Amino acid sequence: MLGQYATTLTFIALGAIFAYSFYAVLIAGQLSLGQAGFAALAAFSGAYLAPAPDDVGDVPSLLVAVAIGMSVGALGAVVLGLPTMHLRGVFLAIATLGFAEAVRVVLLNQEWTGGAQGLGVPRVLTVGMAWTALALVAYWFWRMGRSRYGRALEAIREDELAARSMGIDVGRHRLAAFITAGAVAGLYGVLYAYYVRLIAPNDFDFVAAVEGLVTAVVGGSTMFLGPLLGSGFQTIVPEIQRAVGVEAGWIRPFLASLLLLVVILFLPGGLASLIPRRTRMPSGAADDDATGLAGRRHPEAGEPVVTLSGLGKEYGGVHAVRGVDLEIRAGEVVGLIGPNGAGKTTLVNMISGLVPPSSGSATVLGTTVGSTPVHRIAAAGVSRTFQHSKLFNRLSALENVLVGAHLVSRPTFLRRLFWLPSARRDEQAALRQAARCLERVGLSELAANRAESLSYGDQRRLEIARALASDPSLLILDEPAAGMNHVEAARLSELIRSLARDGLTILFIEHNVGMVLQTCTRVVVLNFGEVIASGAPDEVAADPAVIEAYLGSAEEDADGTGARAGATAAGTGDAPPDAVANLRPGAAGTLDTPDATRDAT
Amino acid sequence: MQQLLNGIFIGSIYALFAIGFTLVFGILDRLNLAHPAVFAASAFVGIELVERGGLSLWAALPVVFVFGAVLGLVIERVAFRPLKNRADAHFAGLISSIALAGMLIALLQWRYGPDTRRFPPGSFPDTRFEVFGAQVTLVQVVILAVSLALMVGLTYMVTRTRLGRGMRAVAENPTAARVLGVNVDRVTAVTFAISSALGAVAGVLFAINVNTAQLGMGAAIELKGLAVIIVGGMGSLPGALIGGLLLGLAEVFAVQHIGSSWVNVIAFGLLFVILLLRPQGLLGARKVREV
Repeated sequence: MLGQYATTLTFIALGAIFAYSFYAVLIAGQLSLGQAGFAALAAFSGAYLAPAPDDVGDVPSLLVAVAIGMSVGALGAVVLGLPTMHLRGVFLAIATLGFAEAVRVVLLNQEWTGGAQGLGVPRVLTVGMAWTALALVAYWFWRMGRSRYGRALEAIREDELAARSMGIDVGRHRLAAFITAGAVAGLYGVLYAYYVRLIAPNDFDFVAAVEGLVTAVVGGSTMFLGPLLGSGFQTIVPEIQRAVGVEAGWIRPFLASLLLLVVILFLPGGLASLIPRRTRMPSGAADDDATGLAGRRHPEAGEPVVTLSGLGKEYGGVHAVRGVDLEIRAGEVVGLIGPNGAGKTTLVNMISGLVPPSSGSATVLGTTVGSTPVHRIAAAGVSRTFQHSKLFNRLSALENVLVGAHLVSRPTFLRRLFWLPSARRDEQAALRQAARCLERVGLSELAANRAESLSYGDQRRLEIARALASDPSLLILDEPAAGMNHVEAARLSELIRSLARDGLTILFIEHNVGMVLQTCTRVVVLNFGEVIASGAPDEVAADPAVIEAYLGSAEEDADGTGARAGATAAGTGDAPPDAVANLRPGAAGTLDTPDATRDAT
Repeated sequence: MQQLLNGIFIGSIYALFAIGFTLVFGILDRLNLAHPAVFAASAFVGIELVERGGLSLWAALPVVFVFGAVLGLVIERVAFRPLKNRADAHFAGLISSIALAGMLIALLQWRYGPDTRRFPPGSFPDTRFEVFGAQVTLVQVVILAVSLALMVGLTYMVTRTRLGRGMRAVAENPTAARVLGVNVDRVTAVTFAISSALGAVAGVLFAINVNTAQLGMGAAIELKGLAVIIVGGMGSLPGALIGGLLLGLAEVFAVQHIGSSWVNVIAFGLLFVILLLRPQGLLGARKVREV
């Protein structure tokens, strides 16, 4: 019974293993076609170097070949990966494709490979061995999925910049994924060689690479069963056609392509999206139990957190930020306000390490900003949100926050492979941390929803939860209240003050001046890249320079938008801090006005 | 000299093919892998037009141009438009265009069979010229002239016409273009039509140049096309022209001096070096990342 289908089953397993080598990088958002090259190198070196099965027995011979092949594949991935890891998308695909083609042509011109005639290899692989290897590979990716490492890769796929800001070393993770792909492709190459009896360099050409990619994508590149389903689909469709008597020739490839088109158009997540995805929730209540999380040292109240001196940023002659001197001490809540284009976002981008300053110096939590990578600054204790939400859209709200906890949770992948209980405890601790953060921003009910399905205001709150999950010392919020109505904004203000009571240092940019004055212990006003005022909220609000920056000078007849935005500053300037709720919508000083003008420009 | 000219002729076909590729990528940020199938299909259709339709070689060119344009519209409508709003539109577009290419090649096999096809004997004029001591046929001259004319025409259209402005606006920012009244769907469809029309003409010229059409000819040029657009700079039209000519020359000289089996190593070695040193290509502009 099995014998009849042995060939088909073996090819399903082989195809799936090859597809896993694409899955390994697709899960991190990398499109590589170099796997054919790794497989070719592995197949030839494994078959050539390993002892003959007649001398040492079938299984030992195959195992030695597999070990050689996987090492060669991984090594190839390192050699190719180091210079190409900075490439993205199609560029990476074509560079790796170029590598694979070069490998193919070189092998074709070697004598030991047999050139175009190919190299004879004894058939050793059985169905059982092929499926055992497949099971091991699938197991690897299954255990990876819910580990810290697996989540980090998914985060990189969804938004690389946000992943960096969460403290993920993107370069290292991408290279690790690439090396995994190389090793798996090497495994495929050797198993293939020991099954088909004769291997030629042209078995690993562009068409083969595309087939591997197609298999992975059709199966689904976000779920570990995807490559297996894809390979089953790709192998069985022609078999079924043959069985029901569709004659060879053009109809079979036509129908196979048509099916492929249908799958890709109507099943966005591939075949694996047909399998319902379980969303995991933490067991037990979200208590304050912080065991299993890495401890963080926070600066004492009053210690300097951010020290900027003469900091400036120039874009082609335009000074976005110029000569900013600023010190933020632990426990402060500093509001950064200023008209559009004043350089607020550029300033916080420099503080969080996303943009290198062109002059001056900045020290953040003991780290010098400039050449330090973003993830190191995050590791020092800086966490931030973005002006335009940068969530990991296809992950659930809970998973987003779990990625945020990257820095305080422990790596769990290797321990998960062996089902060590400590890995489970650490995962639970990370889950509790994530659940706490979600609860804090009031999103507990929506934990299982995809981030992209949340409303705008909820997305902003989710970003805050994600930023909180790393237990930061300095929290930077870039226009957290944008797009919120005044009830939501008031609630947000309350949240920020409660975070400050916990000892968190907060720097936030906001156009909602009323909210800033009500929330902050200090307000810094930026205009044309320079600090024009800094001090307690009521002092700043009364400062003529600030009023002028918002309103324009008294002589100048300011244009409509400027005047309305200014009216907010002036209107709330004299009011007590609680005035935010008393502002009448419709009057000149409604809270929403600055946001509306911002969105329109 | 003979080699130089041969390199230029074949290079101009590569360039024409690659320009179609890079046009879609530059404007719509999508890699259309059905492009090589259009290249192959039009070669077969061109041969049939001459063989059965009794058209002369030159009269077949505009017909093939229109055929390619129609194919382009079909590709856009079937393989790309449905994916427009998907987060994974990049990957999905690659796969859906590969699928469509597979269907197209299968249809070619149905109509023309698996064998190599040639133009009927006597389709080619015998006129030859001697240029600096090298032999040049009229056919080769026309190939070069048609390729150059189409590329110049395309450049004029993109830089000077209203449609071209629309294309550039879409390339810059589709949302903003839509807000400003550009019919983005129409511009997208037209871009695909033009791209495929150029690929189709390249296919028929290639078939004329070597007097064969094979089902696998698209796959053979696909890699070269990708190499050319990377070397020239993704999305850069003059880059594709220079890249195509460079590749044609490099190939001809590699065959001459190193051996034909190493041709692809030259092409991809060059590609690799350029990607490492100048990822944006010779004439490409680096996109600035926004925070």
